[in-house]
Amino acid sequence: MDAEMNAVIEARGLSRHYPGDGTPVRAVDSVDLVVERGEAVSVMGPSGCGKSTLLHLLGGLERPTAGELRLGGQRVDRLSETAWARLRRRNVGFVFQAFHLVDELTAVENVELPALLVGASRRTARRRAVALLERLGVADRAGHLPDRLSGGQRQRVALARALINEPLLVLADEPTGNLDSHATGEILKLFAELREAHQTLLLVTHDPRVAAVADRLLGMRDGSIVEDTRLDGGLSRQAVLAQIAGWEA
Amino acid sequence: MRLIARLAWRNLRARPGQAVLLLLALSVSTTTLSLALAINETGNGAWDRLHRATNGHHIRTSLAYQESLLPPQVQSHPPTPADVARAHDRLAALAAEPEVVAASGPWPILFTDGEIGGVHLELFVMVREAAPAAVGQPLVTSGRWLSDSGDGVVLEDGVAAILRDRPGDTITIAGRRLPVVGSATTVSFGRYPLHQPARVWVNAPTASALRAAGAVDFAAELELRLAHQESAAAFVAAHGSGPRLVTWQQTRVGVHETLTTFAIAFLIIATLLAWLTIATAAVLVAGRMAAQSHQVGTLKAVGVTPGQVTGVLLVEYLMLAGTAAVVGVVAGTLLSPLLAPAAVLYGPPQAPPITWTRAVVAFAVAAAVVVLATIRPALRGVRLSTVRALAATIRPPRRPSRLARLAGLAGLPLPAVLGVRTAMRRPGRTLGGAVGLALGIAMVVVGLGLYRGTRAYLATPILGEAESVDRRASESLIDLLLNIVFGSAAVLVALAVVNAFVLAVFAARDNARHHAILRTLGATPRQTVTAFVVAQLSACLLACLLGIPFGVLLYNTFVAGDDLGPIRLPALVYAVIATASLTLYAVAVTAPARLLATRPITPLLTYE
Repeated sequence: MDAEMNAVIEARGLSRHYPGDGTPVRAVDSVDLVVERGEAVSVMGPSGCGKSTLLHLLGGLERPTAGELRLGGQRVDRLSETAWARLRRRNVGFVFQAFHLVDELTAVENVELPALLVGASRRTARRRAVALLERLGVADRAGHLPDRLSGGQRQRVALARALINEPLLVLADEPTGNLDSHATGEILKLFAELREAHQTLLLVTHDPRVAAVADRLLGMRDGSIVEDTRLDGGLSRQAVLAQIAGWEA
Repeated sequence: MRLIARLAWRNLRARPGQAVLLLLALSVSTTTLSLALAINETGNGAWDRLHRATNGHHIRTSLAYQESLLPPQVQSHPPTPADVARAHDRLAALAAEPEVVAASGPWPILFTDGEIGGVHLELFVMVREAAPAAVGQPLVTSGRWLSDSGDGVVLEDGVAAILRDRPGDTITIAGRRLPVVGSATTVSFGRYPLHQPARVWVNAPTASALRAAGAVDFAAELELRLAHQESAAAFVAAHGSGPRLVTWQQTRVGVHETLTTFAIAFLIIATLLAWLTIATAAVLVAGRMAAQSHQVGTLKAVGVTPGQVTGVLLVEYLMLAGTAAVVGVVAGTLLSPLLAPAAVLYGPPQAPPITWTRAVVAFAVAAAVVVLATIRPALRGVRLSTVRALAATIRPPRRPSRLARLAGLAGLPLPAVLGVRTAMRRPGRTLGGAVGLALGIAMVVVGLGLYRGTRAYLATPILGEAESVDRRASESLIDLLLNIVFGSAAVLVALAVVNAFVLAVFAARDNARHHAILRTLGATPRQTVTAFVVAQLSACLLACLLGIPFGVLLYNTFVAGDDLGPIRLPALVYAVIATASLTLYAVAVTAPARLLATRPITPLLTYE
């Protein structure tokens, strides 16, 4: 009961099916999942297994075709688009593989955007955005447009944007997928810091190094969660690789 | 070449909507241009028929007895018999030239005043004989021609028509009352009241009586026919030192000079439409810049040379230009008689034959428009390396805009700030949309200015009966001109709104990913729609700021004159124009934005 009260995500029979040729494609199929507050969860699995669709369902970017979803205890699977938008701006931060920064806005303007959306004054939003950019080591690029930033810098800006409203949940979809190894290392360090700070995280990744950041590792195949492993005390990269090899077998 | 043509044709077929829109805009432009070039000739058919029926002149001249004096001045300084004899001798010498096969005149012209149909007016009294002249015998339209003896006046057909005088009525010339025996028409001079003073014909005895009553000898006229009408200009060139000679072609243009006003109006409108079409083409081209660059990359990758790539793009657009030129020349020619003011012509206006000159000009303008609009993307695609062209996507902005930053400080709501920033940071696109709409707004300003100016002119008190005749004649021309200006304004605005809609569709497509990103951050669909509409409205606001002063400038440069002063519209009218433009624009651009806002976010995040 305590765990349920503390849950950030509660999914019961969550499904997302698409019409296919004859039989529907079950991108996410009857997923049951509880993620507790302060927990860092990695989701791994082969391409097309439904990882990203699950993440999109949890963040309200897509609607489930069946099942029930609660976010912070609130039932959200039947919310309207507008209600989801209002909920998302306060409670969910997204980090995408392709960064998805607004090209026309500078780094600091991108970061302060969610704060402005929740009604913070421009001064407060700017102060918080600058502080976050300093914390993530890109304060010197605050006035630059995304086109002038490196991949690693863009992802830091995206992370700062995801964190500015201190959301209940950060959802990251292949956050290092477009980065070189150096930038990947820096982003992983930041995610590790977030985990240490008990930020609830859900990371979808192909990269065992990213997966190793989490407290818990979920394995997905054909739209379902087939493995759920707790990585108490953290697991080495080799151990995670061995774990994945076990799933693939 | 066949490959280039085939690729160009495939490109057109792949985007029929865009091709049709561009073809429509181009055709409207070439039609108006063709109208401008054809309308001057709509009266030629009727004039030519009358010229043949009256054995009209190839060369015409009128020589004032005292060349330094104008008609009213001559009354206080009548010519001496020596002045008259000298002028007649000079004209007779011309008639004796070997190239001349027939001559009529010299005929005296008297200047006086009179009263016809209750209207007091100045008159040229043309002295003629009862026997038909060898050249330029006026064609009787009612009653009969002059007789050798007895009083009788034949009125020029325009005088008879507008002053409603018929054979049997009595008029007063130089204080003498004279019976009207008929009316006649001639190609030698323009019709009253657009060509003044009014003209009447009398015989020599009546002319003598009028001289005795105060009419003054003013000039003599002579009409000549040459063996070949084409040699008229050469004849004039060969006799440049004598009296001023006018060829039949110059007379024809002169009597139709009112049509020139319409031709100029159409030419201005055609120019505006051509600019608007450049904006339309640029919008369409910009909308598929990435796809086009990608295609250029693909073609280069399979071994097509940069020259051939440019050829594909040119052929694609020149096909459209060629079609638009054909549509424009035919439509403009057929429309020209409908828009010509029949009152100033010698018969119903007729569509002139299509000439190579008009066809070439229409094609050249259409081709110039498409080349101007497409040269940049074509060159860009060719210049890019094959790999970069293949990977071409919508280019993100590179420099932050200070103006855009200011929008955030102005206290606008967040969606509006986002919209303004997007518009400011995409200045080329914003300017392209703004220019198209600005031309439409300018034309509305000209139309309203002309409407108000002409109404004010027509409402001013009339000083005399002659002026009232002028006013009546002007009124129908003004109404026709107003219809043309408002019609053109409607076409310009409609095209500009279509432009705005197309621009909005492309912008919505380009912004789809951004809107999806905003929605992942918690922006509601309403907020993203507002941001989008505000971004588009920036272009409209700019269009108002450019279009209204440009309209005022156009009016004051091309329309304002002696009768119509500078534009005088109340500030409220400008405010209404701006508000209406903004509303119309907002309606046009909201639809694509709403469509986008209701689509699922995930596919939009990867939309290119």
